[in-house]
Amino acid sequence: MSKLGSIVESVEKYNQFVVDQVKRARTDKDFGRDLVGRWNDIKAKIPTTRTPTGIPLPRLALPEIDEPGEIARFLFGEGLPGEFPFLNGAYREMYLEPIRETESLEKNGETKKPAAKKIAPTEEPTRLFSGLMLAEDTNERFHFLTAHQRTHRLSTAFDGPTLYGIDSDADGVFGKIGEGGVAIDTVEDMVRLYDGFDLGSANFSASMTISGPAPIIMAMYIAAAKRRFGPSVVPKLRGTVQADIFKEVQAQNETIFPIEPSLRFLTDMVEFTSHEMPRWYPISISGYHIGEAGSTPVQQAAYTLSNGFAYAEMFAARGIPVDLFGPRLSFFLDCGLDVEYIALARVSRRIWAIGMREVFAAGPKAQLYKLHTQTSGRSLIAAEFKNNLTRTAAELMLAYMNATNSSHSNSADEPFTTPSEEWIRLAAHSQAILLEESGIFKHTMNMLSGSPGMKAVERAVEAAILEEFREIERLGGVLAAVEDRYQRSQIQNAAHKYEQQIYDGTRPIIALNKYRNGNDEDMPEVKLSRTPRKKQQLQIDRLAKFKKKNAEKSKRALDKLAAVVESGKNCFPALLDAVEVCSLGQITGRLQEVVGRFRPMV
Amino acid sequence: MASPIRILTAVPICDGHDSAINTINLEFIRHGIEVVYLGYHRPVADIVRAAIQEDVRAIGISSYNGGHVEFFAEVVDLLKKKGADDIKVFGGGGGTITHDDARLMRRKGVDEIFFAGTSLDEMVKFVRERYGKPRSKRPLPKSAEQELAHNLTEVEDAKGKRSTSNKRQSGSDQRSTSKSKTRVIGFTGPGGAGKTTLIDELVLRFLNQDKKSHIAILSHDPSVIGEGALLGDRATMINSQNDRVFMRSMATRGQGGGLSPATHDCLTLLARSSFDYVIIETVGTGQEAMPFQRNGIVDQMVLVMNPDYGSRLQLQKIVMLDLADVVVVNKSDLQRAKTAHTEIEQRLEQNRPARRSLGEGERKQQLVDTVAKHHRDAGVDRLFDLISGSTKGATERRKK
Repeated sequence: MSKLGSIVESVEKYNQFVVDQVKRARTDKDFGRDLVGRWNDIKAKIPTTRTPTGIPLPRLALPEIDEPGEIARFLFGEGLPGEFPFLNGAYREMYLEPIRETESLEKNGETKKPAAKKIAPTEEPTRLFSGLMLAEDTNERFHFLTAHQRTHRLSTAFDGPTLYGIDSDADGVFGKIGEGGVAIDTVEDMVRLYDGFDLGSANFSASMTISGPAPIIMAMYIAAAKRRFGPSVVPKLRGTVQADIFKEVQAQNETIFPIEPSLRFLTDMVEFTSHEMPRWYPISISGYHIGEAGSTPVQQAAYTLSNGFAYAEMFAARGIPVDLFGPRLSFFLDCGLDVEYIALARVSRRIWAIGMREVFAAGPKAQLYKLHTQTSGRSLIAAEFKNNLTRTAAELMLAYMNATNSSHSNSADEPFTTPSEEWIRLAAHSQAILLEESGIFKHTMNMLSGSPGMKAVERAVEAAILEEFREIERLGGVLAAVEDRYQRSQIQNAAHKYEQQIYDGTRPIIALNKYRNGNDEDMPEVKLSRTPRKKQQLQIDRLAKFKKKNAEKSKRALDKLAAVVESGKNCFPALLDAVEVCSLGQITGRLQEVVGRFRPMV
Repeated sequence: MASPIRILTAVPICDGHDSAINTINLEFIRHGIEVVYLGYHRPVADIVRAAIQEDVRAIGISSYNGGHVEFFAEVVDLLKKKGADDIKVFGGGGGTITHDDARLMRRKGVDEIFFAGTSLDEMVKFVRERYGKPRSKRPLPKSAEQELAHNLTEVEDAKGKRSTSNKRQSGSDQRSTSKSKTRVIGFTGPGGAGKTTLIDELVLRFLNQDKKSHIAILSHDPSVIGEGALLGDRATMINSQNDRVFMRSMATRGQGGGLSPATHDCLTLLARSSFDYVIIETVGTGQEAMPFQRNGIVDQMVLVMNPDYGSRLQLQKIVMLDLADVVVVNKSDLQRAKTAHTEIEQRLEQNRPARRSLGEGERKQQLVDTVAKHHRDAGVDRLFDLISGSTKGATERRKK
């Protein structure tokens, strides 16, 4: 039995535990009294804040209950924000603004704000995904995006050739260079990409959305940082690399080595970062692409969680302590408009915490399901594309109701182009409008949690996720199910149904199959950011220069890398050496000679 | 009755967006179209080579990762260069292809671009109307490969027209008359045993063993009701997309037993061409199937089994176990593999007296365990030695 069966059991057992605690609270007088006492303490400690119009509000809203059984059901079943099992949030305060003076403080004439001092400064939960043309162009975009931000959190999109681990000079990829993301061939490109940013600073983090060749790109990032700041910068580096092999095979199709060696290279990298780079997130377990490929929300949550547990099992088997790698796992979900999204991430957070604590014996920090949410790209359409602003805003609202740790809102022009600055700005502002301008999320935690409808969705979604786990377990666990194309075929089937629903009208898409203005040819004329041929040629010329300069050294580095891979030892240190003198494509090519190429599943 | 329309679909290099094309493929098939699906992340050269070998009417490209203006144009240009511009190009990319792009692409020779919101019905209608008419007089083939592809189409379409007559083309089964050095190897076995992956791994070894060798593959997939078929083996066979490999995908077009009505004639044609090896793969077969029995062209019959065949009794019913020269237990990393090996070995032992009396002589049936999904699998190396007639093991060669 893989660990997934034990996860199902642990969640069922925990749910039974909650039921038992409710009963006990009602029958065991002492226990009940303790709970009521604890509940009253919690309530008494909640600071009060004041809205701009002057009404006082608690910074944490709790259900109006005083009966011990119901208190037990809330505290054990949901938990306070920042407390196990984390249904209401991974952290205590999430999006709350710094405390405003309350009336009582004013009355006492105090000038300092004691409560405010204890509260950590809020992070702007904004991380906008971008990447275009060549490294220097993306670098310029990064500086534009972060011009007014205290913290610089960059999210990098790579172009097709980079995502597939091939060089810009490969046959037939010319038109793809710098399209849909930035072109990276060598460590020199990586230096240019983050030029002007202080990579070792606590206010900087880089996210890199790449999986197939992730260990190679990660090695390039480290090498680039060392070139600029010296070797002492390595333990200070902050950021995320996606590196999610399972979801690539299940949904996104950007896998370059067969599954087993891909997982081995991943584990090699995680072993390195776990010990050498304590602030780095070496994997972002991603449901986003599963959702975008057409899965149902439940499939997305279930496959993402089960993939996560499978990685945890793999890393633990390598001997990496769970409390070392566990806190460095993060998650990435899609948020669309289906009703399940009201609670999808909430339920995921709870299942993850229970599974990690009960099955992997993880400590509190390794129980957190730290989540980045992106609004659904698939839900956006080209026809009357300004409607996409509304779609994205509604999705963002759902994401914040789930207390996501950070978010990306899509630009309305995404269905037809790499987003342009005008629409990116609007997308970023939608986050600020919801979190900073509106009062929905900034005054009070749990503002929208716990409605009867939300609870109904939570129950239904949790049951459906556990049922998916059981099915995967029946197939022999995640790896066996993946090789059996189980998740893939489920996703494809769901995608097919979704399309059919659009065509037969049972799934209304406004301005597409409902309230259509009949003006189909009216494609919006927007400024497209396409990569000029001149730039594409420049990338190829630079690569040729790099290869020529390192011709001798690269051969030796590749031989050494191949030998380490054959030996079965951790190959990440050899990769770190190789990226100094080899291009991405050279390394991929050599590794494929040793371990083979990925065979697509159809 | 007119032959089904054959088209090829693919997603360009560095693009893994296959959700749309999967849906469209299914819709085409449902409406009687035969679709050779090449898969995602495919370079121009692979697409054009496959289209010529498969001799399709058109190529449908689904592109979502940008660079489509260049990519489509490169496909059109390469077709033209190869003298195959009777193969047309169409495609789409949701909202990523603008109307301006589409105008430019049409000017460069692309037939049609579908935009977001196009219904599946419209696409089917387009393909039927535009590519469903009988071909006009074909231009003279520019290469031997193209000529072979045209001939195979003629053979296949002729079979459709004379569906009641089972008469073979004269001379076609007289393979012995042209003493060919071509070795014909047949692969059969139940669906899901991993035949396609196994063949592709063998092709890699053929290609590496002799840098001049040429290989042909005749692969089969079942037709579904309404005559369409998804011919998807190329998507899995990454090593076989090579200039030294000629591959043709055939739909069974209503015939049972794992092959198509035209298989025999097509195989004869391939066997007479100058390939070093011709590999034929049946569709997933049932217990009673003996697909190669009646054509007499196959030199060696390989039965590929999955360790999960069920009970031991099931083995008694598999006719191919009597006939196969080589039996492969693929996926031998599965738990049941050892039991399977032992049971099949016993089953083959039983055959020996009977085979001797049938004049099969002392040719012992071989049993090989493989894990085709593993790169450089030792079992696949052994199988390669058995079927290539190689004296030195592939394993030994590698060590040098």
